Amino acid sequence: MSLLKFARNNTKHVFNMHNDTQAIFISSRKLSLVPSFYDQENPAPKFFSSGVQTLLKRLTRPDFAKVFRKRANTNYPVLKTPIYKFLTDEELNVERENANKSADRLLQMPPAVKVNEPTNDVLSKDPALVGYDNSTYMFTDITFGIDNAHRIIVQRSPDGTLQSCDYETRKRLNQIYFPMQGRKLREPKVFSETEKFNSLLDREQYEYILDRACVQYEPDERKYQELTSITYQHLDMHSKFNLLRSTRHFGPMAFYLTWHKSIDRLMLELIQNGTVREAVLLVALRQAIHADLTNEDTCNTLVSQILPRPIQQTKPDVLSEEDIALDTKCTECVDTYINTNSTMKSQQALALQGFREYYQQMVDISRGLKKAHGNV
Amino acid sequence: MPVPPASGTGRYYALAAKSIRLIRQGCTNRPFFHISVTQRKRLNSQPVIEQLGSYDPMPNMNNEKLVALNLERLKFWLGQGAHVTPPVAELLGLSGFFPIHPRSYMTAWRNRRAEKERLEKEETAQSTS
Amino acid sequence: MTTKILALRNVVRNPITALLKQPNIQNNGQNNLIQFSTSPLVYVNFFNKLPAEKLWKSVTSVSNAGAKKGRGKGAGRIRIRDLNRGQIIGVGKINMLWPGLSAPVIRGRELLKQQRLPDDPERMEKLIKLRDSMTRFRRLKLSPIERGWSGARMPGRSLGPPDPVADEEFVGFDTKVLQLRPLLIMKGTLGRTRNFQAMVVTGNGQGLAGFGIGKAKEAQAALRKAKNRAGKKLMHFDIYKNHTVYHDFFTAFGKTKIYVQKKNEGYGLMVHRAIKEICQAIGIKDLRAKVEGPSNLQHIVKAFFIGLLQQRTHQQLAEEKKLHLVEYRAENEYYPTVVASPSTVRTKEEIPKDETLDFKQYVMNDKVILQKKKFPRFYETMPHYELFLKKYEKYRNHEKIRLDLKVEYGEVKSFLNDKYPEEKNEQEA
Repeated sequence: MSLLKFARNNTKHVFNMHNDTQAIFISSRKLSLVPSFYDQENPAPKFFSSGVQTLLKRLTRPDFAKVFRKRANTNYPVLKTPIYKFLTDEELNVERENANKSADRLLQMPPAVKVNEPTNDVLSKDPALVGYDNSTYMFTDITFGIDNAHRIIVQRSPDGTLQSCDYETRKRLNQIYFPMQGRKLREPKVFSETEKFNSLLDREQYEYILDRACVQYEPDERKYQELTSITYQHLDMHSKFNLLRSTRHFGPMAFYLTWHKSIDRLMLELIQNGTVREAVLLVALRQAIHADLTNEDTCNTLVSQILPRPIQQTKPDVLSEEDIALDTKCTECVDTYINTNSTMKSQQALALQGFREYYQQMVDISRGLKKAHGNV
Repeated sequence: MPVPPASGTGRYYALAAKSIRLIRQGCTNRPFFHISVTQRKRLNSQPVIEQLGSYDPMPNMNNEKLVALNLERLKFWLGQGAHVTPPVAELLGLSGFFPIHPRSYMTAWRNRRAEKERLEKEETAQSTS
Repeated sequence: MTTKILALRNVVRNPITALLKQPNIQNNGQNNLIQFSTSPLVYVNFFNKLPAEKLWKSVTSVSNAGAKKGRGKGAGRIRIRDLNRGQIIGVGKINMLWPGLSAPVIRGRELLKQQRLPDDPERMEKLIKLRDSMTRFRRLKLSPIERGWSGARMPGRSLGPPDPVADEEFVGFDTKVLQLRPLLIMKGTLGRTRNFQAMVVTGNGQGLAGFGIGKAKEAQAALRKAKNRAGKKLMHFDIYKNHTVYHDFFTAFGKTKIYVQKKNEGYGLMVHRAIKEICQAIGIKDLRAKVEGPSNLQHIVKAFFIGLLQQRTHQQLAEEKKLHLVEYRAENEYYPTVVASPSTVRTKEEIPKDETLDFKQYVMNDKVILQKKKFPRFYETMPHYELFLKKYEKYRNHEKIRLDLKVEYGEVKSFLNDKYPEEKNEQEA
């Protein structure tokens, strides 16, 4: 059996470890993906910790051209004339700060939380009211200023019992009285019919699916976690990570993959593209979530060195000595990780070797340039 | 204002008698009620002080009748001495905010008796035929 | 030629001239002498004395002076018709087959002979009908693409590129006529003389354009002169992203004022029709211009060109002001993109107190456009409007409900209707 097949079989095994209730079904033609939920351990404390949040934000590599791109689903039916202003340097910096804030708002990650439990409590039983009416009465409290989650929603059923409503009805009634734009009362067919959903996945419309799922469902719903997990797995299988970069969904996706210990393809992609620093960040993320790596100290020190530096959107032309030193340390860190914890060892090692050669070339070029310019 | 808002003008005489009642909106053969607080002498077509909720008497696809109640404002107007008409009192009783209205018990009892009589009639009709 | 044929035909028609024998002459005293009398032979009669042109002219004639004054051009004037239309040589009132003329001599193996064919009784009617249709004034029909601003008139119509100069051809250029009008001047010797004046704009849609005026006795000549002159006087204009101007501006020529506003992609040209032709020639696709004051076309054109030439690019503006020029777009969540930066930037302290920092105000040279007040529509102040609104409340949302139902169920029905199906179902059943 080839090394590739061995690796693929191992990843299937990895998925199964965390889905004890799901059965494996893999057909020869299409690989059907198995959804997984955050139902054992609550990922929320780890997700919301500041360390993990900064790592995820850095991994998304926000590119403002993509974050602020023209979208078709906004409230503007028609384009508007651009506005021009004369700004001094300080004012420009202030504007850029505001732009960063709005970018943060646009890149706000939908959280990874534990699946919610169904609630049911009976408030009163009145068998004397049997026969009053054949339909249930649903009472919603439309007081101004209450959160949708804390709203009092009760129902009086025809047999006289007064009980608070379950999650589905609560969501429906909240949507009726306080509609959220984009959320539909009836579940969209994209999510209910697997054919339509799969066709979207085949067309690689990951961002569209995730945006719609984010609007339609709450993050602690079972259906939402099912949809997102299938999307992330499909994306991981085809290694289309670039489609989600600079969007709000890259963070939760990276968190999901790290949670299920299947970051190998992402690691491979990072090394192949030469972004070793992000590979180190990914290793640090793995460490933060699972805390089972060997080289944690080196990792953390490197991360503290990487984070202050600006994000590299494109490959730099000239490398400074600090950059070279940092990058060499990063490659060593990644190397140790590959050798100890990775499942796609051969591919990743090959990719790293390729990167080392390419990097050596870059180093030679930059050192040569410096010598030529006379800066020793 | 050309058309007074159905959600209420917010203007009232402080000493006037007020009541919380059902104001019929909707169209022919399709009633829909607003639960609002108005001055007692006003007609249903005249502007209300404030709308406190709604009641849809026609059951929807899931056989539910939807009632919305603004409990905070309801408490305020009850505090200001607004009367509550029997239909609204029944609804509030069903919701659990008020104790259950005796009329609800009465209608339930009457419906059960009517149902029982109807079943008996059917049985006798079946047995004879 | 036709006139000659006409004359000949009349002669040929009556080939027979008769020696008229006059029987029963009054015998006044003379013996049985055979009396002959001759009558004039009519080879040439009244109708074939003159050619058709002269005949028609005699009917429709207007004197020279009258023609200059424009007489004989009203609705009642008779139009000259060509009577030869609809007639073929060899076919006439008597339908004969002439082999060699209207039919081949040998058809197959047969040698055709002269023979009389059955008459066509409707021939004359057909000819009359044809001649009647010729009298209507034929409107020159143009396809919508060729059409100008109005009818078959020249303004707005395209002329094609200017004539090549030396060896250089005007590749990609198209000219549009803006104005073609006759001018009358009184000359000492000639009296009233008519001249045509044409104004034309030419451009290649990539920023090169020019306008020209030409005068000549004939319209075509004037257009040609104007076109070539425009081709000689080309100017280059900077266009922002190939679709609009760099900034709003105000121009005037004489008392004609134009307020021009830069617009976004897809806005279109909401401008005076002459300015529209100019923009299309230059390559501007989105603009809004308001002409105020007299709308003298030549003034409008000149004012617009002056304004465009006085435009400043973003880089120039930034250099003038020594401040960054930043663009905010609504579709990009108003993200500040620096469009132009000067070599040195001023700080806040260096900027004097009264300087105009507002981009629009600076670019319009401290002119402020009046925002007109919006008054209520004419029906909103009418007495019955309030009552109408109250009644309208009942069915204000029904259109949307119908649409929603159609989306959900495919037709206007709901689950309530299914409980109590209407007569339509009974009919179907």
